Amino acid sequence: MNYQECLSWIASRWNDELVVTSAGTSSEIWFEETGDTERVFYLEASMSLSSCFAAGLAFGVPDQNVWAFSGDGAFVMNAGMLTVERQMNLPNLKHFMISNRVYGSTSNVPLPGRSDNNYEAIARGFGIERVYSFGSMNELQGRFEEAVMEPGYSFIHLEVEPLDYRGHSPPMDGPEVKFRFGRHVEKLTGKNIFTAPLTKKN
Amino acid sequence: MEDLIDSSIRSAARATETGYSLEISEEIVETCAGVGIRLVASLPDDWIAQTIARFEQDKRFTHVPVNREESAVGLCSGAFLSGTGAVALMGASGLMTLVYAITKINYTYEIPIFILVTQRGSLDDGAKFHVSNGLYFDDVVRSINLPCTVIASRQEIPKIGEAYLHSRKISRPTIAVLPKKLLLGKI
Repeated sequence: MNYQECLSWIASRWNDELVVTSAGTSSEIWFEETGDTERVFYLEASMSLSSCFAAGLAFGVPDQNVWAFSGDGAFVMNAGMLTVERQMNLPNLKHFMISNRVYGSTSNVPLPGRSDNNYEAIARGFGIERVYSFGSMNELQGRFEEAVMEPGYSFIHLEVEPLDYRGHSPPMDGPEVKFRFGRHVEKLTGKNIFTAPLTKKN
Repeated sequence: MEDLIDSSIRSAARATETGYSLEISEEIVETCAGVGIRLVASLPDDWIAQTIARFEQDKRFTHVPVNREESAVGLCSGAFLSGTGAVALMGASGLMTLVYAITKINYTYEIPIFILVTQRGSLDDGAKFHVSNGLYFDDVVRSINLPCTVIASRQEIPKIGEAYLHSRKISRPTIAVLPKKLLLGKI
């Protein structure tokens, strides 16, 4: 699959889910495709922790669906994250793991074990029941509803080609990302996230 | 396989046999509950096996054993953005692995998290393999300007709650350090 085409299509299916993107390409392309500054936490400084971050978020907002994006560079760094996700088994969390067998944000330097890593088998080996592996747009489009829109935690492996991409980070500093996203979650859930509420409670 | 609650009861019994105080663990857990903490992410250390078990068995909390300490940082940081109070519980060696996660996630985005950590490598720690913590822990904490509160006696356990709330106020991580003698109920 083409990386940008894949993310662009997923973005076209995006409704009201909260999204957590990871370091580098997924953040850059998601921002380029959507321009969103409220419903996405661009966790560019994350290196293998975006899905854990998304799990913590999903735990606290059980009525909101959360999409987490990570890459296989992060995955080989912290594959054990799946043991935590399996254990939490959050019905509102979907983990998209984008695999291009290279460190895409650092000039496509090859990954260890690049051709042999079987991410689907690893996820199943950790006991995850709803594991999907898509290597083409047809496969992704054909089973997207089942993999992503139905309730239940799922791990979705997207096999894409390395991208010769030089994108730009979303034009916000970390605290702005935090406040925009956090205020959006406050409005959605009525919960206080920050110590100083923005709006007066009735 | 034994379920998590049964395992934690067994683990707590073992910790009691080795002298760790059930009452101190209960006070720590009560303090955390009192400030609104509901999610606990932990990696074990013998000294806090009793405390981990108390969290596991207390229905006010969801306890998530994690695969590595960095995952606890990710989990607690995300929990903050959902309005959920969280604590990461770990040994000193675990905290020593967190410089990347804390400086990248929590300092870049100014996301508060709270970490309870053992004071491994102290004079009363008999484990040679924790000498490194005694030598370098304080310097590492200072090097990243991580606000640190040592809970020096049972009377100071309420400071755990204060340190948690302080993290929210300053939008940074804070840590509270648990000495061995405290966890044994000797100070």
